[in-house]
Amino acid sequence: MPLLRRYALIYREYVNNCVAEALSYRLHFVLLIVMDLLFYLSLLGGVDFLFQHLDQIGPWNRQAFLFFMAFMIAVEHLHMTFVSENFWAFSHDIRTGKLDFILLKPAAALFIVFFRAMRPATLLLGLFPWGLLGWYGSQLGLLWWQWLLLPPLVLLGLALLTSVEILISMSMFWLVESMGINFLRMQLQQLSRWPDFIYGYFAQKFFGLAVPVLLVGSAPVRFVLNPHDTSGLLWLLGLMGLSWLLTAFFWRRGLRAYESASS
Amino acid sequence: MIHATALSKNFRVYHKAPGFWGSVRSFWQRQYSDKPAVKAFDLEIGKGERVGLLGPNGAGKTTLMKMFTGIIVPSSGQLSVLGHQPHARSRDFRLRIALVMGQKSQLWWDIPAMDSFVLLQRYYEIEESTFRRRLNALVSLLDVAPLLQVHVRKLSLGERMKMELIACLLHQPELLFLDEPTIGLDLVAQRKIREFILEWQREYGTTVLLTSHYMADVDALCERIVLVLNGQKRFDGGIRSFESLLGRQKYVSVSFEQPVDTQSAVWQPHDPQWQADGLQVELRIDEAVLRETAMAIFRDFPVQSFSMEKLPIERVMHQLLQETEVL
Repeated sequence: MPLLRRYALIYREYVNNCVAEALSYRLHFVLLIVMDLLFYLSLLGGVDFLFQHLDQIGPWNRQAFLFFMAFMIAVEHLHMTFVSENFWAFSHDIRTGKLDFILLKPAAALFIVFFRAMRPATLLLGLFPWGLLGWYGSQLGLLWWQWLLLPPLVLLGLALLTSVEILISMSMFWLVESMGINFLRMQLQQLSRWPDFIYGYFAQKFFGLAVPVLLVGSAPVRFVLNPHDTSGLLWLLGLMGLSWLLTAFFWRRGLRAYESASS
Repeated sequence: MIHATALSKNFRVYHKAPGFWGSVRSFWQRQYSDKPAVKAFDLEIGKGERVGLLGPNGAGKTTLMKMFTGIIVPSSGQLSVLGHQPHARSRDFRLRIALVMGQKSQLWWDIPAMDSFVLLQRYYEIEESTFRRRLNALVSLLDVAPLLQVHVRKLSLGERMKMELIACLLHQPELLFLDEPTIGLDLVAQRKIREFILEWQREYGTTVLLTSHYMADVDALCERIVLVLNGQKRFDGGIRSFESLLGRQKYVSVSFEQPVDTQSAVWQPHDPQWQADGLQVELRIDEAVLRETAMAIFRDFPVQSFSMEKLPIERVMHQLLQETEVL
């Protein structure tokens, strides 16, 4: 069976199982939808409040800034739906030895570890972030090719954020208790939710190059608004490739260090 | 199937002095030491064998299992399982093995086991008709058809273990690792699981490597025993040779109508284990003196009942752990 088809079929079962799992706790399911909605509204509400007192933040006016926020909400939405749960599960897998069973399966263990859990409740809210992106994009008067660029650029931002987080999560093999790493990930997400120009010079360099979370939204949005500004996207692609290489290296080292949990 | 030469595994552990200041000191200055879990272990297991890995807690049995399955990497030594280096975790290797752990579950907890089985079908690329045929056979053998649609979290331990076995056997592994598969189960469930494994092994010729604290598991399932003590192999042979390690002895249980003299010279050579204030004794009696000892007991004491059987493997094991010089 071709590789892609095999993994598509495995992923389809993950989705089926996650839906079955999520629907077995009905109140929790509804609560997650409400919480996600509140989270998105609080992000937008914060920016809206700032622009009640200011006309411009850095180079961006209200429309451009809210377009950026909508872009990040679209990235966050996909992240929370398809990836986020897995980082918490990975920490649990290592501590309890559940990783043992994952390592025995005849499929890429990295794929199983970071993509087996998704949140169906969050998926249901999909129209909200894309609707926001459409609304604020239309206020900026985007052209047809700019609209076409939006979905792949959101996916690119998601890919970078996920790659950086997976690389950071490799440290869980050595730390074992990984609450701190998961909180660090959340802080990095928090940083990425704002455009890079609001940060100081050194913070911009560090979080744009060493831990490149500021590229997640800033680079793609800047490219949409100004197609001649490709440097951010090139950095994004280069650093994402580098993070994959480092992840492969540390994954192999991590598995050598893995001691499982005693029975 | 399994070739291990001078296999070793060391774990790094750190030591902390007790109390608050011990915790603070260990935060800044951690004292590590290497704990050898498995030492220079040699093992050969052929196709279709049923081998029991025996040993007390912490002997290194599970560590061996985890090295054989590629979950952890050996510190040194040579290891080949099904022609593969396990920790290289080639796909072909993983398609041909399975591991059941009595204390851990591979099933998704919040959904019915059937959903997990379908996922396993995808992992192992089992064709639909083959999957249905195997599943039906396993479900019927284990008598769990009504439980397939029940959430795993709602199953009893015994029912869950049956589902774990199905999950492990759907892809018909050539090599099956069973790490305490009956732990925590009641006697009826233990027996059913044993019967099932034996039947399955006989039908498909699967090679089985088992660890268990229940000697009844080993007695029922294994034809060969490997005894592990402190990470080292101390015995490797047939189950009957294992039983005769302590000599050709019989296990005799005698109960009396009234309390008897527990200090009598008749008992002393036979490792007496007294119960109920001198009303019952269990003895290990060498076959060579069995007849005369039995006659002396009947002659000198008010025997109510007398039973005799070969030394149970549980007792052999218990005795060996106390008298390791016998090995």
